[in-house]
Amino acid sequence: MRFMLVEHIGNAIQTLRSNGSRTVLTTVGVAIGVASITAILALSGGVQSIIKDQVDTLGGAIAVVRPETHQNRADIANSLTQQTFNTSTLTEEDVTNVEKLPGISAVAPLMLINSSLKTSSNTVKGGTILATTPSFAEVTTLDIRDGQFIDSVTNRDTAVLGSQLSVDLFGTDQSIGQTFSTRGQTFTVIGVLKPDGDPINFNNVDLNNAAIISLESGKSFHRGVAQLQQIDIKADSTAALPEAVDKATAVIKENHNGENDFSIISGAAIAEPTNRLFTILTSVMTAVAAISLVVGGIGIMNIMLVGVAERTREIGLRKSVGASNANIVGQFLVEALIISLLGGVFGYLGGYLLAFLTSTFLTFDPSFSWQVAAVAIGTSLLIGLIFGIYPALRAARKDPIESLRQYH
Amino acid sequence: MSNAKLPPVIELRDLKKRYGVGDAEHFALEGINLTIKKGEFISIMGPSGCGKTTLLNILGLLDRSTDGEYLLDGVSVDKQSDSRHARIRSTQIGIIFQSFNLIHRLNVITNVALPLAYKGVPRIKRLQQASNILKTFHLSEREYYMPWQLSGGQMQRVAIARALVNDPSIILADEPTGNLDSRSSHIIMEELSDLHKRGNTIIMVTHNPDLTTYASRVIQMIDGTIASDTADYRSQEKVGAKIPLDAHHVPATILPAGNKKLRKTTVRKKKAGKK
Repeated sequence: MRFMLVEHIGNAIQTLRSNGSRTVLTTVGVAIGVASITAILALSGGVQSIIKDQVDTLGGAIAVVRPETHQNRADIANSLTQQTFNTSTLTEEDVTNVEKLPGISAVAPLMLINSSLKTSSNTVKGGTILATTPSFAEVTTLDIRDGQFIDSVTNRDTAVLGSQLSVDLFGTDQSIGQTFSTRGQTFTVIGVLKPDGDPINFNNVDLNNAAIISLESGKSFHRGVAQLQQIDIKADSTAALPEAVDKATAVIKENHNGENDFSIISGAAIAEPTNRLFTILTSVMTAVAAISLVVGGIGIMNIMLVGVAERTREIGLRKSVGASNANIVGQFLVEALIISLLGGVFGYLGGYLLAFLTSTFLTFDPSFSWQVAAVAIGTSLLIGLIFGIYPALRAARKDPIESLRQYH
Repeated sequence: MSNAKLPPVIELRDLKKRYGVGDAEHFALEGINLTIKKGEFISIMGPSGCGKTTLLNILGLLDRSTDGEYLLDGVSVDKQSDSRHARIRSTQIGIIFQSFNLIHRLNVITNVALPLAYKGVPRIKRLQQASNILKTFHLSEREYYMPWQLSGGQMQRVAIARALVNDPSIILADEPTGNLDSRSSHIIMEELSDLHKRGNTIIMVTHNPDLTTYASRVIQMIDGTIASDTADYRSQEKVGAKIPLDAHHVPATILPAGNKKLRKTTVRKKKAGKK
């Protein structure tokens, strides 16, 4: 049987070569479908690896505490439930208690406030204000372009601006020393961040468009109480992370009177809430791309049926010199599979070409993984099998006498 | 060439083939009894529609009889599966067609080697065997020609080489000269005659009475039955095992151009009709 397979492959290559343009066109049909799926998967893989990469560049020793809300489990169709407007259960006390734990090098609370930012001549509506502590700089990658980050000495009424926000407010990213006001308080700019390429990150804050102020200032907008959406924890090392997470869980649970109304996530799970949206998007786009793959498959079936009709006499002859039905099925099926496999390989390469071209307009690169290659080659073979089996069976069912009588 | 002691290659017992049902029912073969011994060269004659091609198809296991028994090399093949039949076709039967049926995409040597592929012979060995057999047909220098670059006679010789390459126990020929002019026809018949002399069993269907002179036994069919069989005649008359043929001992491929006697007899009898 293995021997016949080699035979069929040789035969198919011969046939496909002698029908060159036909083969190329059919292959292109499959390749387009495979290329679109490959491009989509590569790009979505790129998006999903962004957050993981960020965690990895920080040594992988990052965990985040988030309040457990129903929103996390809400389905996409009904995302606006009353629970959406719950206040966070995380408190400043959680931060101070976790800080005291051994094995933890930095803890940063994140308090997000949406508010208009005003200068004497300009207003930015719905600006993002992130109130945090100086240790925020330790748990995330921050590049200060000018000035300094907030610290324990200069933490009153000072702000560090994202470069885009600085431009929006002052018309320049050289805004140190300038002032703006929000909710009746005036802040002096003491630092400007470098333009950061990734609006997608595990803090879920677009730092480019955010003003970072101290937690003390932030609390003053909230009657002196911290309203924390997230606490970032950095352990001493990756190895110490699991233990640190366990301890932090125990401490925070105690603070919350034993109620498990929060979750501490680390590693790949940090990226999950963000990735969920992309997973849905990816599957929708893949489904659309799969339609083109089906069209390509129909192309294969079409051309195979033509081939069977054209080679009716050859089929009759092959049978008369000893080919069994299985031999004939094998011959035509292998031919269909080779077309689809060629389509798969070229589609995979073309898909990555497309993904790289697209990624020049995006903030991330396509990701390489064996899964994408397996999906590309696997689906193309599956298409070849599904759409090749019928013509092959039709060829095998031909009566040798009738077939040999054709075109007499 | 008397083969009385050898077992028959083919034995047909009351073989029937029916087409259609009800009103349209029609027997193409109405009880054929036939025994063919190894080494016979049989010519089956008869008008169009007498069932001779049907008989040949059944003998070649391309078709199945409706009733009766067919023993090939002493084994009944009626109940065997299609795939078993395919294997028998690839090992025991060689078929020569009127229209040659070479695959036009493949060159001569690959065409000849084709039956060996289904027999499971490795590629290199296959081509060697094909090359050897082409040599006996003096077609060595045509090995890598494509079929359309050959003359009709050459194509049919390639087809004969293909039928022989798997060393079959019977060779079936369905009007092998039907598409050829008389000169090529005789070359082909010389080849077949030569094969016969080397001990092959050949069963040939033909319209052309001239060609029966090459055969060792002539069967006349009418309306699905055997009307006459020279073997019966011979056994009655106690004539020798073989009809005296006109003695063409000329090597097949170098038939002298000036063989007027051969030409005269055949030019007149252009093939009457096609099946």
